[in-house]
Amino acid sequence: MVQYSRHTDLAFAAIADPTRRGILERLGHGAASITELAEAFGMTLTGVKKHVQLLEAAGLLSTVKVGRVRTCALGPRRLDEERAWIRSYHEMLESRLDRLGSFLERTKGAAS
Amino acid sequence: MRTPSDREIHVERIFDAPRERVWKAMIDPTLVAQWWGRGNKLVVERMEVERGGHWRFVEHSDGGTHGFEGRYREVTPIERVVQAFEWDGMPGHVILETMTLEDLGDGRTRLMNTSLFMTAEDRDGMMQSGMEEGMNESYAALDRLLSTME
Repeated sequence: MVQYSRHTDLAFAAIADPTRRGILERLGHGAASITELAEAFGMTLTGVKKHVQLLEAAGLLSTVKVGRVRTCALGPRRLDEERAWIRSYHEMLESRLDRLGSFLERTKGAAS
Repeated sequence: MRTPSDREIHVERIFDAPRERVWKAMIDPTLVAQWWGRGNKLVVERMEVERGGHWRFVEHSDGGTHGFEGRYREVTPIERVVQAFEWDGMPGHVILETMTLEDLGDGRTRLMNTSLFMTAEDRDGMMQSGMEEGMNESYAALDRLLSTME
């Protein structure tokens, strides 16, 4: 199995919070400034910035500052590694159940 | 196999074996050691098949060792096991596996498995509150989010 980077942990932690999921969901519809996010979620600028920093550290969000306005958009990483882990688990699960089937075939008729 | 969302996996198998035999193969450590480990040596370090009990399996292969573990959340004999599943290589990422056995009445058994991907926070919160409803809601939110990120 492949080893996954620390980013994956950050990404899972980042999306564990409902507000941060909300921010990503909002950015899925288009970029927004910190001020717009603060208004949309009824939060202070400082509060939004904290969430934005966590999402940015996880690579799920990127920001660009033009003049005095910082604009947020979905980041480059999205959730690719998480998807890879899920795929890898899924393959393991399928083959585990296949092996259970073979085991049951193999031991048929044996005292059990 | 159906995949209703990125966070939930459904797998089904029909075994040509009575439900009692399938159940025994799933909960008897000496039997588990014979099929669980991808053809590699499997050491069943712990297997306390009861609500809240721990399980830990270590697979020894040429590529090294892989530890898997979790706790049983529900054990209903010959019908249903709900357990957490974690791989040492992905700490903090928990999969909730629900395995249900259905007696097909003709000597065969249908196994239905649902795997739900969670964070450690989700699991701890769920353990504390026992509120699966809240978890389902947060995953519905996550599903909506993921669909906007495609």
